[in-house]
Amino acid sequence: MSEPLLSLHGIGKSYGAVEAVRGVDLDIRAGEVLALCGDNGAGKSSLVKIIAGAQPQTTGTLRLRGAAVTFHSPQDALRHGIATIYQDLALAPRLSIAQNIFLGSELTHGPFGLPFPRLLDKRGMMAAAREFLQRLNLPLADMATPVERLSGGQRQAVAIARALRWQAELIIMDEPTAALGVKETAEVLGLIRRLNAEGKTVLLVSHNMADVCAVATRVAIMKAGRKAVDRPIAGLDPDTLAHMVMTGQENAGQHLPAGRGSMTAL
Amino acid sequence: MLLRLLPRFGTVFAGLLLLLFFAAFAENFASLGNLAVILKETSFLAIIAIGFALALTTAELDLSVADVASLAAVTTGALIQGGSAPAVAVLAGLGVGLGAGLLNGFAVTVLKVPSLIATLGTAAIAKGLGFMLTQGVAFVGRWPRDFTGLARGSLLGVSNLIWWMAGIAFLAWLLLKWTRTGLHMVATGEADEAARLAGIRTGRMKRLGLALAGLMAGILAVLMAASLSSAAPGMAGDHFLYAIAAVLLGMTMIEPGRPNIPGTLVAAFMLKTLGNGLVLLGAPYYAQDIALGVIIIGSVALSSTVMRRAAFTKKLNFRMGG
Repeated sequence: MSEPLLSLHGIGKSYGAVEAVRGVDLDIRAGEVLALCGDNGAGKSSLVKIIAGAQPQTTGTLRLRGAAVTFHSPQDALRHGIATIYQDLALAPRLSIAQNIFLGSELTHGPFGLPFPRLLDKRGMMAAAREFLQRLNLPLADMATPVERLSGGQRQAVAIARALRWQAELIIMDEPTAALGVKETAEVLGLIRRLNAEGKTVLLVSHNMADVCAVATRVAIMKAGRKAVDRPIAGLDPDTLAHMVMTGQENAGQHLPAGRGSMTAL
Repeated sequence: MLLRLLPRFGTVFAGLLLLLFFAAFAENFASLGNLAVILKETSFLAIIAIGFALALTTAELDLSVADVASLAAVTTGALIQGGSAPAVAVLAGLGVGLGAGLLNGFAVTVLKVPSLIATLGTAAIAKGLGFMLTQGVAFVGRWPRDFTGLARGSLLGVSNLIWWMAGIAFLAWLLLKWTRTGLHMVATGEADEAARLAGIRTGRMKRLGLALAGLMAGILAVLMAASLSSAAPGMAGDHFLYAIAAVLLGMTMIEPGRPNIPGTLVAAFMLKTLGNGLVLLGAPYYAQDIALGVIIIGSVALSSTVMRRAAFTKKLNFRMGG
C-alpha cells in the first residue's frame, strides 16, 4: 500500500458551540482517488475546507508526507501542492481559456528579447494551455475563447488544466458533476481517470454514488462530524454505498433489501 | 462578415456617420481648425475618462474624478500664482489627484464603503476644499511659459494636449492588455472571487484602479490650468457626466461590455464631435445635455444588448464549430 500523501490526525472543527468535525483520522494515499461522501451537514465540507486551506482546524494536525503542516490560505495549500476545484469552478467567465488556466501565474517575457518591461507572453500561454488540455484528451481549437462559451464539461477541463498548471499533486474536486448532463458527466469522469493515470491524487467530494463507484478507489463516509466508514470501493455498488451514506454503517449495505436505496444520497 | 463586426464596431460606424452628417450640414465643421478644436477638447475628456475606465475595470466607480480634478487645478493654480516653481505646482496637482485616489481606495477596500458612496463623499470634500482654497475666486494671471507650454505647445505640428492624450491612452492600453497587473485588474472586475482564489490581491487591484483614476484627474487638472492660465473651483465639473458617458459609450464597441481604452477614446471623440456639431448647427444650449443623457442610458442598454447578442451568436458558432 502506498504511503499517505496527506494524513489527518484527530481533526476537529467547531463553529461556536457546534462541532462540525470531530476527531477525524484520514490518510490520503499518493495516486489514489479517494471519494469523500456524507449527507448534508455530515462535516465533509468543513473537512475539505481545512485540507484546502480555506479555514483552520480547531484541533488535530495535518501531515504532508509525514511532516506537520498548517495551511493559512488556499494559496498556501497550493504552494504545498494541494489544489481545489470548487463547485462553481472559480473561473472568470469572460476571460479566455488560456487566461483562466494561467490566472495568477501568467507567463511574461521582455519585448524583442529585452529584460524589461515584462509583458504577457500570450502566445506562450496559448501554446501551453493547449498542451494542458491535450494531456486531458480535450483538444479545444481556440485558446482565446472565453470560458463562458464552453460547456460544463469543458469548463471542468479548464479548471483541471489550471490545477495541472499549478503542478498540484492532490486535486480536490468539489461536486464536479453536480450541474452536468449525462454526456458531460461522462467527460468529467474521464478527466478524473486521466488525472489519476498521470499519477495525481484526487479527493472527490460527491453526492453521486454512481460517479463515486465509477472512478474512486477508496471511499470515506462522514456521519455527524465523524468518519464512519473508510474502505476500498471494490465490491460496492451505488445502492449499497448510498445506504452506507444514509446509515453511516459499513455493513448496512449487506442488509439492504432488494429494490431499496438510491443512486444519489440526499 | 458585417454581422460579426457589428457588435464590436457598430458604434464606430455610427460615429463615422455622425462625422459625415455634420460635415454635410454644419458649416465650417469639416475645416482643419475646427477638427483641431474637437481633438483638443477630446484630449481633456479622454484623459479623465481613461481614469474612470481604469477604476471601472476593477468594478469600482469613481464619481469624484471631476471634483478632484477641480481641487487639483486650484492647488496647482494657487502655487503658480504664489510664485512656486512650475515643477512643484505640477507635482502638487498630481499629488492631490493621486492622494484622493488613494483615499478612495482605502475607503473602498479597507473601510468597506461601497465606491458609489465613498467617491461621492470624496467629491463633496474635494468640492468644499476647492472653494475653501479659492474663497470662490478663480486664480488668473500671466503664468510662466514653462507651465503653460505643457498644454499650449506643440510637437511636430501636433498640439501637446493630443500627445498627452495619445501617450496616456497608449500606457493605459499597454497596462490592461499586456501586463500581469492589467490582467489582474480585469480579472478582479470580471470575477472578484475567482481572481482572489487564484491568488490575485483583488483589494490591491481595486486600490490601483482608483489611484490611477485620481492620478488622471490630477493630470487633467494640470493640463486644464496650463491651457487656460487659470484655475477655478468647479472648473472640471462639466467633465463629470461626459467622462461617464465616454466610458459607457466606449463599452459598446471594440470590447463590448468591458471598459476599454480604444473604445473610450473613440467615444470621447464622438461626444465632443456631437457637442461641436450641435453648436455649429445652432442647436439650443440644452440640446447637448439632453443628448448626453440619451447617450448614457442608450449606451448601457446597447452594451447589454450587444453582449447578449454577441454571446448568443458566438455560442452558436462555437457549438457549430464556427
